[in-house]
Amino acid sequence: MTNPLDPMVFVVDDYAPGRKSISRLLHAAGFVVAAFASAQEFLAQYDPAACGCLVLDLAMPDVSGLELQSILADKGSFLPIVFLTAHGDVSTSVQAMKHGAVDFLTKPVNDEDLLSAVRVAIEKDRVLRREQTELFEIRARLATLTPREREVLEYVVAGRLNKQIASDLGTVEQTVKVHRAHVMQKMKVQSVAELVRLTQRCGIGESVQ
Amino acid sequence: MSWVTAVWSMNAAACLTLAGFYFAVWCKQRQRPMYLLFSCSAIAAAAISAFELWMLNSRTVDEYESLIRWIHVPTWVLTLSFVAFVRLYLHAGRVWLAWSIYGLRTLVLILNFIFPVSINFTAITDIRQFSWGGQMVSVPVGASNPWGLLSTISLFLLLIFSVDAAIAVWRRGDRRRAVLVGGSMIFGAILAWHVPLVIWGVIDVPFFLGFTYTAIVAAMGYELSNDLARAAVLVRELEISEKRLNLAANSANVGMWEWDIARDEIWITDKGRAMFGFNSSEKLDFDRFRSRVHPEDRALVLQAVENSLQTGAEYRSEYRVLLPDGQVRWIDGRGHVEFDGAGQPARMRGASLDITRRKQAELEAARQRNEMAHLSRVTTVGELSGSLAHELNRPLGAILSNAQAAQRMLANGGVDVAEFREILSDIISENKHAAEVIRRLRLWLQKGEVQQQPLPINKVVRDVLKLIRTDLISQNVSVDTELARNLPTVTGDPVQLQQVLVNLVVNACDAMTDCGARERRLRIRTGLANGSDAVIVSVTDRGGGIQENEMEQIFEPFFTTKAKGMGLGLSVCRSIITAHHGKLWATNNADRGATFHFTLPIAVSDKGAVPDQKLLSGIR
Repeated sequence: MTNPLDPMVFVVDDYAPGRKSISRLLHAAGFVVAAFASAQEFLAQYDPAACGCLVLDLAMPDVSGLELQSILADKGSFLPIVFLTAHGDVSTSVQAMKHGAVDFLTKPVNDEDLLSAVRVAIEKDRVLRREQTELFEIRARLATLTPREREVLEYVVAGRLNKQIASDLGTVEQTVKVHRAHVMQKMKVQSVAELVRLTQRCGIGESVQ
Repeated sequence: MSWVTAVWSMNAAACLTLAGFYFAVWCKQRQRPMYLLFSCSAIAAAAISAFELWMLNSRTVDEYESLIRWIHVPTWVLTLSFVAFVRLYLHAGRVWLAWSIYGLRTLVLILNFIFPVSINFTAITDIRQFSWGGQMVSVPVGASNPWGLLSTISLFLLLIFSVDAAIAVWRRGDRRRAVLVGGSMIFGAILAWHVPLVIWGVIDVPFFLGFTYTAIVAAMGYELSNDLARAAVLVRELEISEKRLNLAANSANVGMWEWDIARDEIWITDKGRAMFGFNSSEKLDFDRFRSRVHPEDRALVLQAVENSLQTGAEYRSEYRVLLPDGQVRWIDGRGHVEFDGAGQPARMRGASLDITRRKQAELEAARQRNEMAHLSRVTTVGELSGSLAHELNRPLGAILSNAQAAQRMLANGGVDVAEFREILSDIISENKHAAEVIRRLRLWLQKGEVQQQPLPINKVVRDVLKLIRTDLISQNVSVDTELARNLPTVTGDPVQLQQVLVNLVVNACDAMTDCGARERRLRIRTGLANGSDAVIVSVTDRGGGIQENEMEQIFEPFFTTKAKGMGLGLSVCRSIITAHHGKLWATNNADRGATFHFTLPIAVSDKGAVPDQKLLSGIR
């Protein structure tokens, strides 16, 4: 059941009939569902590698929905959360959304609203996970550059010409050209524009202005 | 007719008149034997006078002999009744002396008839006649009987008995009686000594023993007449006091009544008639009275009357009467039953008090209190709206999701009957759950009749926790409950008692808003109060506590320490608890925070006392 590649919908609600009906609905809509009666129960079984989303009841005794949200954030998890509540006030929902909740739905919730929120959440999870994977890849490529090549890369994405770079680094234009070719090859890009896009995602480029 | 005959006859007549009069009195007051005793004494005194008169005019020895023998009969009667009179009326005189006199006097009477002539003479030889006061009177001449000494001794004992009794009465403080009875007796005893002197021929006077007895009878009669006079005064005083009582009763709106149970007749004062709407000539019986009692209160009144008739207990009942013009009056009826000799209830006497005004004020106060309570509940619903929405939306959400899940399953094609059955049963149970929430809310907001029902206090606590669960969660307050098992029930209105607890819990939560999340603990305890005739509930918070000088102020209307509060919650709570015969107060905890306590008396069904049915009979 816990194949990390299949998206899972985790339902956490202390109110048993609510938990059961939501699970049923999600299951009927074709999702793989795992339901938990409390935040603690969920945390005990949660595998950060599992993809999907969390449908979370706001008002629960002991550990509330908002508290679970912050616990997950502290753990570095970015599992998207759809909040469900039988009565929500504005300040609570604002707080939940600020901390990255996908949606904040009020019971009784219409199936389409819930399902679309869950789909959005799962898509968000998928995107986040893909981006995360790409980021890892770029960082791995960056790690293969020599310090000199790294220096040249930063000048290139800053828009400097080879001649300018050579004078800045106190070397000849030919050497810069060789370094530049190595960078393009190691970073697996065809154009400078592409290189800029990759490095921007890692936060490189803004520092050299 | 000579004056001697006239005086002796008048003496006898006077005694007979007194005898007749007091006999008539005795006939009306049989329970007072002294009147009969007096009557006997007076008849005996009259007889003695008559005998003496006969003896004065007697001419033959034979006639004299039989007269002197028979005069001992009235003397015996008089002595006996006099002694009995002293014992019964004055409650004085020694018993052994009384019995000695009885015995001796009876012995004298018997011997008197055994001896050939009498106890006084062994033989009468002649009749001596002499002129006395212008008339020839006869005295006997003969040999005196030595046994006559017994008669003299009995006379002597009688004297001692009388003097002793007079001293006892004197010591008791009743000096007038002592002088009168003792004096008359001593006087009589002294004068009686003329009899032996005449017999022995020492002095020449006719026998006048009748007069000495008359003196004694007159003294007795005087005493009794004092009684009669006092009775007459009492009757007059009674009339005055009755008038005063009537005046007081009328001005205090009290109607007095008496119910002759055997005849089923009711006498009632005019004020009482007006109270019940009866006209002044109408004949009244229990059924007429009953017909005036408000139909809803009839059973209650009947039960109170029956209880009194059966147990002899004081009759007490508060009820309404419905006058013919539709007016309603409140009556406080009280009375007691008198039983006849056979232990059967003979009559009931009592008073009815018109308490309409007091009752109206009470009802008005109850109505206002209940209005206030309702207002406060409506306010609380506003404060608890989160909880209510939550309580309602949760089951509604479950119903919707279940139904929509079922729709999707149908659309998917694969219909699992078992699953469908489960979905439907879940929908039904959630629907009931939602309906229950609405019912509770309606009850809470209702402005209906205040109920008086036996309640387990722990259930009230649990219901309240259900009602405000979400608020507790959203305020991060955790609740510890210590509910004593097997508590006796209390009597009250469930909604109003819930209201008190909700208020106390909401206050406790508000008091802890500045506490750290782990400090927000609330404790609700139930148990038996000291003395065990009440149940106590306490709500403890860990907030800032109450300023000592505000410990009582917090229960006053419009006193509040909250920014948004109206300051009505606690004052309404206190009025509710007071109306339930309980107490509500606050204390600060030793470490931190405050505790609110309230007590409620144990329900009568659990205690066996008489319920106060009219309590809280207002409109909620």
